[in-house]
Amino acid sequence: MRKPLPFNDIRHLQAHQFLVDEAYLLDAQQYRPWLDTLTEDIHYVMPVRVTTARGTGFGTSPGMAHFDEDKYSLSQRVARMETEHAWTEDPPSRLRHFITNVRSFECEDPDELVVESAELLFRSRGDVNESALVSCGREDLLRRCADGPHAWKLARRKIIADEAVLRMQNLAVFL
Amino acid sequence: MSTVENIFENIQRGMVPAHIYNDEGLFALEKERLFSRAWIFVAHESEIPQDGDYVVRRVLDDSFIIARDSGGQVRAMFNMCLHRGMQVCRAEMGNASNFRCPYHGWSYRNDGRLTGLPFHRDAYGGDEGFLKKGQTLLPAPNFASYNGLLFINLDADAEPLEDYLGDFKFYLDFYTKQSTQGLEVRGPQRWRIKANWKIGAENFAGDMYHTPQTHQSIVDIGLFREPKAQKRKDGATYWARRGGGTTYKLPPGGFDERMRYVGYPDEMIRRIKDVWTPQQQRVVGEDGFMFSAATCFPNLSFVHNWPKVHESVRAHPKSEVLPFISIRLWQPISENETEVCSWFAVDAAAPEEFKKDSYKAYLMCFGSSGMFEQDDVENWVSLTTTAGGSMARRLLLNSRMGLFADDRPVIEALPAESFHGPGRAQVGYNEYNQRELLKLWADHLDSAVSA
Repeated sequence: MRKPLPFNDIRHLQAHQFLVDEAYLLDAQQYRPWLDTLTEDIHYVMPVRVTTARGTGFGTSPGMAHFDEDKYSLSQRVARMETEHAWTEDPPSRLRHFITNVRSFECEDPDELVVESAELLFRSRGDVNESALVSCGREDLLRRCADGPHAWKLARRKIIADEAVLRMQNLAVFL
Repeated sequence: MSTVENIFENIQRGMVPAHIYNDEGLFALEKERLFSRAWIFVAHESEIPQDGDYVVRRVLDDSFIIARDSGGQVRAMFNMCLHRGMQVCRAEMGNASNFRCPYHGWSYRNDGRLTGLPFHRDAYGGDEGFLKKGQTLLPAPNFASYNGLLFINLDADAEPLEDYLGDFKFYLDFYTKQSTQGLEVRGPQRWRIKANWKIGAENFAGDMYHTPQTHQSIVDIGLFREPKAQKRKDGATYWARRGGGTTYKLPPGGFDERMRYVGYPDEMIRRIKDVWTPQQQRVVGEDGFMFSAATCFPNLSFVHNWPKVHESVRAHPKSEVLPFISIRLWQPISENETEVCSWFAVDAAAPEEFKKDSYKAYLMCFGSSGMFEQDDVENWVSLTTTAGGSMARRLLLNSRMGLFADDRPVIEALPAESFHGPGRAQVGYNEYNQRELLKLWADHLDSAVSA
């Protein structure tokens, strides 16, 4: 089973740094370098949350997600943003990804870490539109792909939205 | 300043008062005169496959439990306890034999019958004071299905669903009947947009003019090869009674070739041919039109596209696109906010691999994160915001595309031998369908609800 890492463990510190550095790239919409932080076999998924009774045993919509992405589909999303015709982000949103509650866990494979975090995305567009928030939890799998402090890449991400009905006009953003 | 009467007159001639997309008074009128008597989509039967399965859906402010009862019958019950009005079901989906009100504990079978009433004898003197037998959650005034699509009508005297849909059923089958097993749907994704509900409905009904501009980025990245301006102009738009849609003109070929061109495997094509009438097949096979977006009045839309979903496909640009189907409800929250409910739909008999890829195609293109959809919503939010001001009340939007000033068509309707579907169809840029949709809207709002 996975074992929690103390906050002074170098792997936890590296995982935390990975998330903070990533948040910078996502705020700045530097999506091409962000793609490089993902493994080739990345699975990036954001299930649709549903309101169910406590005893139901599930809280996500069976078989449905907001995102269910691999490297190709994420690359296409980024390529679209790089065209001159991605109107929804031109003018761009002002984004702030707040990352907190970071916990890291050691895995059986010494080159992998499970990292949990909480995220609040603030998104502001134009001058009269109300700003929008997405609150979510994330369960990540980081994999060591090189030596040194920037050795980690994101191999799995599960985004657990805290709303059943998103209050954001679209997900032309990453979480 | 426009009065309600000249709003409707303007709509009839294809001039749209801009404020109809953000007007509190008109939204109140829509509640009273439109949503109170049109057939409103709530769910698909495949969302509740097992006895006891339920989903909770709204028609505007009214919450309904859509349940398959223990005898297998699908019902729509008003989600309000007969005693003090509490919602008896506060989850949005699940499986239950009973719904128990959390307030005082009245309980109802999943067919709506009141079965449990705590302290019945002490509190009411038993059946002498309150006869339990025959008491049920209020059933929806009218409830019917077509190809598994479940609709509620709040008007008990509404015309039957199939009459309401009329000839649009011909086109609904393209999306919802691709084998004898019918559709299975997943979702919906739900999110709110600060846009009036009519804009999306109009867009899906007939706006092929926006595709080359709004969705240029999709062509830029090679995700979808069709939206180029020329291809959209050559597609036909059709309108048939309560709905209409857009199509793409496909390269020469017969029915099978054209279905293969958009990515249907042969075994699905075989099953489709078993359930589509010869006339339905001729629209694709002879006329060469492949259905794309559509709207069923007032707020139900469909989309069918065929993007490239895998990297490997990019190396073989001539092949390997894959179709997906999505069902879409524009659920009004207010005059300037809409909850979008977007389902992925696929033929239940389709091969598993196809279902997987088709789902992927849907996610990439439509829905909350879809790359087509992202740019649409940006436009609609902006339009709605601007429509709320005072200047919008002085502006008539020109929605007369395809008509000369004297109302003659710029391009004549397609003759029956070129388009084998019912209703009116034509090629070339036009806003015929948007006009038809808004005329229906105006007709409903212009006619008082009888007391």
